[in-house]
Amino acid sequence: MDATFLMNSLWVMLGAILVIFMLGGFIMLEAGSTRMKNAGHIAGKTIFTFGLASLVFWAVGFGFIFGDNANFLVGLSNFFYSGAELEGLSLSSPVFFVFQLAFAGIAITIALGGFAERAKLSVYLIFTILFSAIVYPVVAHWIWGGGWLAEHGKQDFAGSTVVHLTGAMAALAATILLKPRIGKFNKDGSANNIYGHNQVYTALGVLILWVGWFGFNAGSTLSVEDGFFGFVALNTNLAAGAGAVAALIISWMVMGKSDVPTMLNGALAGLVAITASCAFVDTWASVVIGLVAGILVFYSVRFFEKRKIDDPIYALSVHGAAGIWGTLSTGFFATPELATVGKPGLFYGGGFEQLGVQFMGVAVSGLYAFAVSFIILAVAKKLMGGLRVTEEEEIMGLDLSEHGSYGYPEVFMAEENKRLSS
Amino acid sequence: MTCGINTYQSLKKWKDEQILNFRSDAYALNEFHDRVMKTVFEIALDRMNNEKLPSWKLAWFATGSGGRKEQGFLSDQDHGLVYEAEDPEAATYFLKLGEEIAEGLETVGYPYCEGKVMSSNPIWCRPLVEWKEQISDWMDEESWQTMRNLHIFYDSRALAGEKEYIGELKSLIHNRINNNPNLLSRLMETSMHMKNAVGPLGQLLPEEKGTHQGELDLKYTAFIPYVNAIRLLAIKEGIIETSTIARLEKLQDMKDYGEEMNRYKNNFATLLKWRLLTYKQTDTYDDTHFLHLKSLTKRERNELKSILRDGKKLHQFVIRTVEKGVV
Repeated sequence: MDATFLMNSLWVMLGAILVIFMLGGFIMLEAGSTRMKNAGHIAGKTIFTFGLASLVFWAVGFGFIFGDNANFLVGLSNFFYSGAELEGLSLSSPVFFVFQLAFAGIAITIALGGFAERAKLSVYLIFTILFSAIVYPVVAHWIWGGGWLAEHGKQDFAGSTVVHLTGAMAALAATILLKPRIGKFNKDGSANNIYGHNQVYTALGVLILWVGWFGFNAGSTLSVEDGFFGFVALNTNLAAGAGAVAALIISWMVMGKSDVPTMLNGALAGLVAITASCAFVDTWASVVIGLVAGILVFYSVRFFEKRKIDDPIYALSVHGAAGIWGTLSTGFFATPELATVGKPGLFYGGGFEQLGVQFMGVAVSGLYAFAVSFIILAVAKKLMGGLRVTEEEEIMGLDLSEHGSYGYPEVFMAEENKRLSS
Repeated sequence: MTCGINTYQSLKKWKDEQILNFRSDAYALNEFHDRVMKTVFEIALDRMNNEKLPSWKLAWFATGSGGRKEQGFLSDQDHGLVYEAEDPEAATYFLKLGEEIAEGLETVGYPYCEGKVMSSNPIWCRPLVEWKEQISDWMDEESWQTMRNLHIFYDSRALAGEKEYIGELKSLIHNRINNNPNLLSRLMETSMHMKNAVGPLGQLLPEEKGTHQGELDLKYTAFIPYVNAIRLLAIKEGIIETSTIARLEKLQDMKDYGEEMNRYKNNFATLLKWRLLTYKQTDTYDDTHFLHLKSLTKRERNELKSILRDGKKLHQFVIRTVEKGVV
């Protein structure tokens, strides 16, 4: 067995581990940005839904994305993947599978962010199965599995569209159908701040995601050839830094305050945006892409709030708005040397061709993800008697209503139990 | 007593009927508040006299916005008692009177003070001798809380009884500052926080969230910064007037101050006027501090911006002035 094959396999396995560890980042980000009474639920459901999504991905997801005998929507082989080596890969196929599974896990986790603090546990379960079976695999097939967008030369190196936008559009469908949390908006239409319970968790979550992103982006090289993963990692880090800086500055300029959650969103937006373009653009362009993402995320959060869409952990802005921008960005900045897929961008003499492809890819993928997610949830709403816990349950918190226990028992439990458990 | 009114309820009724006549005149409104508060005091005394009629001398003072004659239509109560007698019986009596007054003010429409600056609180209800000790202790301790207490006390104004008690107590502060300018520095350090209201691009910064979204928090961006800054100068110069406008008038006549004080005075008068104009009857106490930016004309918005910017300049000026005085 040749050394390159082994090294590729090792590198991508490391990437898979980093991407799966991003779930730790999401747990902290999401729990920190929400209230104590839901913390245990949020942490627990993230692990549970990843487990469930893994099974679905093994059964059908992987086959739909990469299988042979493909129709317009999906491929149709390799269901219940056996671990057998597949043709045409220069790394271990099970490693490739685990790496792809990790991405599917991130996509559903992003989507479920839009459900935070009010959806029933059973809705998480149903939606995880259906999203992982028929939403994510279709978009992934179109762009990465040799589908029609791949044939157009759509550039999405590590998934600004496939993972982030798809997840965010599902989150959008969910926030619209679930409606805002109790107390988010006042009668006169003004919004309240529902503060997250631990900003340190949120920041640590962002750092874990940032580190995990090296697996996400640099791991997507799928090989160690020429050490190109280093360049991808460099671009990734620059965009994250630029996003954090731009977001802090814009929040200070507009609100007169250097807002920490905005800055954290800026770092994530930079990462989401560079995900599509990290292998196709020069370093200076990465900085520009990150800066724009940091500013965009600030205005996007305000945009959704004005429209009375309650997005507790900013999934729509961080993954959606920045995902769109990141995908379009290669249409401007892709260089002739680096555009191994598709064409160079507008600023490199490529004209509007690649930008057009990117735009079409974003629009169709986004619409598909939104529409199918919306239908799934609307039907579920009908069949399950609503997507939301009762008002009483929402007030008492999902830790208690959905699980019968608490993430922070000493704070909430009855005196007797407090004494015993502290 | 005000034309035959002898219960808190009837006083409240009369107050509610009359108060909106003062929409355009902050000065007259505060004269009116004085009259109402004094009547509360008289009713309270009257009710106490059912038990016993004391012949003790006392001063009942208002502080906070009442002391400064800067109340809007709604404001909470801030007041205290200074009395001459030093026996325990007097202490019991005056605390009880304090409770009666606080309850009366509450009934008439002045909510209880959250910080407990009320005659029903032993800290704010003492014999003159103990008051003197207490103020000395506050000045010795120089903690955040005792400096805050001094700020509050410095806005006191006697509404009933022996006015000179208050003057006597304030002169303790003046004397100490003359000998120890560091105290003024400490007073400054504990009162110069300012909520920023003009952004780096020159835009107004209204509330981002909550029921006051899009409105400007006048209390913390404008009123308190002006009031605190001018109070410091008043303490420094030994000015005993309590209203910010009156303090500014005194400062205007002093060398080292001059012209700018006139501008600050006009600014502050404008702020008082706006607060009255934007008042709606449905407002709660919190609501009255917020200015609906949309209801302002372009000219008024610019005026507001320049008032807020002047507030910053005034702060800088006070810091320089106080620091100059410290050896």
